[in-house]
Amino acid sequence: MKSPRIYEDLSLIRRRSKFVFTLIKIIFLLLLVYFWKVQVIDHQKYWKKSEANRIRRLPISPQRGLVLDREGNILAKNIASFKVSIIREKCEDLQESCQRISQLLDMDVKKIEKRIEKFKSFQLFRPIVIKDNLSDKEVAVIESRKSDFPEILLQTESKRMYPLETLAAHVLGYLQEISPSELKSEKQKGYEIGDLIGKKGIEKEYEDLLSGEKGMALEVVDSEGRVIRQFNQKQSKNGENIRLTLDLDMQKQMEIILEGREGAGVVLNAKTGEVLAMASYPNFDPNKFITRFTPEQWMELIQDPDFPLENRAIRGLYSPGSLFKPLVAMGALDSNIISDRSSFVCQGTTYIYRHPFSCWYEPGHGRVNLYTGIKNSCNIYFYNVGKNLGIRRIADTARVFGFGSPTEIDLPGEKRGLVPDPEWKQTARGEPWYPGETIPVSIGQGPLLVTPLQVAVYISVIANRGKKVIPHLFLSGSFSEESGPREEKSVLTDIPRDFRHSDFEKVITGMWMAVNEQGTARAAQVKEFDVCGKTGSTQVVSSETERKMEERGKKIETHSWFTGFAPRNDPEVIVAIIIEYGGMGGSTAAPQAKKLFALYKDKYAR
Amino acid sequence: MLDRSHFKTVDWWLVILVFINSIIGVLMIHSSSHYIPGSQAQKQMFWILVGVLFMFLSVSVDYNFFLEYSPFIYVAAVLVLAGILLFGSLTAGTKSWIKLPFFQIQPSELTKVFVVLALAYLFKEFKSHFISLRMSLWSSGLVLIPVFLIALQPDLGTALTYVPLLLGALLLAGLNKKIVVLFIIFGLIAGLLGWNFFLKDYQKDRVRTLIFPQEDPLGAGYHIMQSKIAVGSGGIFGKGYKKGTQSQLRFLPARHTDFIFSVIGEEFGFAGVLTVMVLYFLFISRLFRSLFVSRDRAGVYMVFLVFLMFSCQFLINVLMTVGLFPVAGIPLPFYSYGGSSLITNYIAVGLVINVKMRRFVNV
Repeated sequence: MKSPRIYEDLSLIRRRSKFVFTLIKIIFLLLLVYFWKVQVIDHQKYWKKSEANRIRRLPISPQRGLVLDREGNILAKNIASFKVSIIREKCEDLQESCQRISQLLDMDVKKIEKRIEKFKSFQLFRPIVIKDNLSDKEVAVIESRKSDFPEILLQTESKRMYPLETLAAHVLGYLQEISPSELKSEKQKGYEIGDLIGKKGIEKEYEDLLSGEKGMALEVVDSEGRVIRQFNQKQSKNGENIRLTLDLDMQKQMEIILEGREGAGVVLNAKTGEVLAMASYPNFDPNKFITRFTPEQWMELIQDPDFPLENRAIRGLYSPGSLFKPLVAMGALDSNIISDRSSFVCQGTTYIYRHPFSCWYEPGHGRVNLYTGIKNSCNIYFYNVGKNLGIRRIADTARVFGFGSPTEIDLPGEKRGLVPDPEWKQTARGEPWYPGETIPVSIGQGPLLVTPLQVAVYISVIANRGKKVIPHLFLSGSFSEESGPREEKSVLTDIPRDFRHSDFEKVITGMWMAVNEQGTARAAQVKEFDVCGKTGSTQVVSSETERKMEERGKKIETHSWFTGFAPRNDPEVIVAIIIEYGGMGGSTAAPQAKKLFALYKDKYAR
Repeated sequence: MLDRSHFKTVDWWLVILVFINSIIGVLMIHSSSHYIPGSQAQKQMFWILVGVLFMFLSVSVDYNFFLEYSPFIYVAAVLVLAGILLFGSLTAGTKSWIKLPFFQIQPSELTKVFVVLALAYLFKEFKSHFISLRMSLWSSGLVLIPVFLIALQPDLGTALTYVPLLLGALLLAGLNKKIVVLFIIFGLIAGLLGWNFFLKDYQKDRVRTLIFPQEDPLGAGYHIMQSKIAVGSGGIFGKGYKKGTQSQLRFLPARHTDFIFSVIGEEFGFAGVLTVMVLYFLFISRLFRSLFVSRDRAGVYMVFLVFLMFSCQFLINVLMTVGLFPVAGIPLPFYSYGGSSLITNYIAVGLVINVKMRRFVNV
């Protein structure tokens, strides 16, 4: 029935199998030895590491310091605000959680996922903020459904608030979430992704003082993630309150003047350089975008063609126009090119290097000397002075008065402007300087560019007869008693050239006459407060800007400048103001400056 | 086909060892996933039942019947692998899955069994002492085609589990020096090409991480470090069931799948590691014994290749958990959560039982 079994000879392949099995047995043994080493011999090392994993570090945020004006009015404070975070560790399914939370909070799920992606380096127990600035309604919704959402965390936090809204917005600046590039450079100071940091203005400049120091809480958890022990490893240290030199009344007056216009203005204490007011228009309300997220308002602001975020007082570059004339006069007097007795005749137009150059006053000013030249802002007079003085000496004098370099104010992002000279032209344009180009520079036109704050500093040199102020906003900090006196901002600084005192008096006389003897700046006259000043009306020459303005239906007016100081003999206050496309300096800027002088006189002058 | 006398010859010890290993697996899956929804442990038990069913099917018919059809099955499997590459959808970055209404299957796992059968078929009449060039090329092609298709998914880990099958078959058939040299040259060229043209950056990172794990503790080396910490902190007796902080606090990646051995090491210490290694060793030894009762060459090949598949997969996975092998995504047989792998393993064990059961059957 059964046929005989014929087995093949399989011994060879069985032997070979055994050989392989032997190899595997050896590997098993070696592996056991290795596990003995890891688990028994090196046990302590790994045990410590696994214990360290059970310790959770949670940063404690300090209160940010307040910002006050010189009289103690609050400019920036902190208010309680609600934020909601997700804790990934408590999510059963992260994607599903995101979905559910997006419905709860009525948010785009992609936004939440993007947010989580950004913070993926965080340990799983760390909450990730997904929405802040919650409304009462949102808080109520979250609170009522708390038990359905174990993975979300509702917390209060202190949020920056600017109670006066747009007031001094450019000076104060604002906070935003730290950027990756800042994180790289600020990391040593304990910042981490998601922190808010000062991005502009005082908030940025004094970030170190205002932000304080973070604390650290430690939590030890068991294997189910329950907190067994909790303690503070390091107390947080609140930020320092900062008192600014700003005077709220002056600031408000300045903003009323600029309201609805485009321009900037600065009021300085002539002796100390304290900034009493600084404004730039158009402005913005920082409260609208102090959030971790980028709302629509923010996008509108950064895309606005009027650049409302730019602080024109330190970043707006303008031709100084006729404001430059006292400086040219100083340079010419110092070089003995003119005296107060030399004069030129103004017939409305003159030919220099065979080109016609005209005065703003078409009929001509007739015979003009230094005093009437400044008083009536005669172009012809200064064309001749400038031609004789030459571009190099004009440029040197401009630098002596602080143009072309930052004023060193304690605000970030200050522009240095431009003082043209032959070297500049050779490098920037690759062409030599033509003598004809000196002529417009003599009346503050041409490539010359200055900021309103530089103008104020320049006037401080004239007002103080050869000493310059360094403008600053920091008055005092709340901890300065403890930490010793802060770096004292020197009150008056020497300038790198010695002018004759009498030259200053001559120029000041011209500026006094401009205001008080029916000169171009007469609208700035304040009774019993010897204002000395100078107006300017600068042509907006750039053809590119011209086109842009015309597209927006604006008539191309000149920029309207005024700068001056008062009182004449013992200067206390300096004003510099520019109103873009405001027309003549004498009719637009000067009467506004008068309001500032008058206010200062009422409040401070003895 | 299946009569009562066969039942008596079923290798019940092997079945029992498979069950013990599987049940420890379920317990560990529970420990490492009870806090996430989906009750993975219950699902795994369901897969074990399905696996038993498949094991029964693979035992019920004489393995020579499977061998007869193995060329066709093999071609069909390769076509499926090619098909999912062309038409499959991405799941977690790879095209490894076929989605069915209630679950998804991973053809690259099941194909392993078919490759074993095809290799046994290829060598069943091969009687010379050393392999011929022709046979070595045939067998290489047979294994490397699915390896290539799987590597393209890309699922390098699963592709890697096929390599021992090829090496095993060549070794058994008898390697001579010429062929070894040829293979080394071919391997070097393939390795160089692979590193420069086929490996994705994350895969290269894993290889680098193996060599320098401390370099990047939060990047690619993170998983290995956390796994080693888990194992090392377990000590001799472990932290206790469901008490492993590394696992429960989720520092350990892929806890209930690829890194389940680390959970064993953490919660039961060296004692647990030793126990599991002994149990698994008993299992592969039991598999190996069938090799000596096989009635024919094909049976020996089948048993040996299945034995080698289980041995290598286990060793690679364990080596991976302590950072001695790149994190390749290879499951621990019978322990890691996953239906496709479990069913494949049960079928493979079924084939070995089949060989032993039919040792007296006349051809």
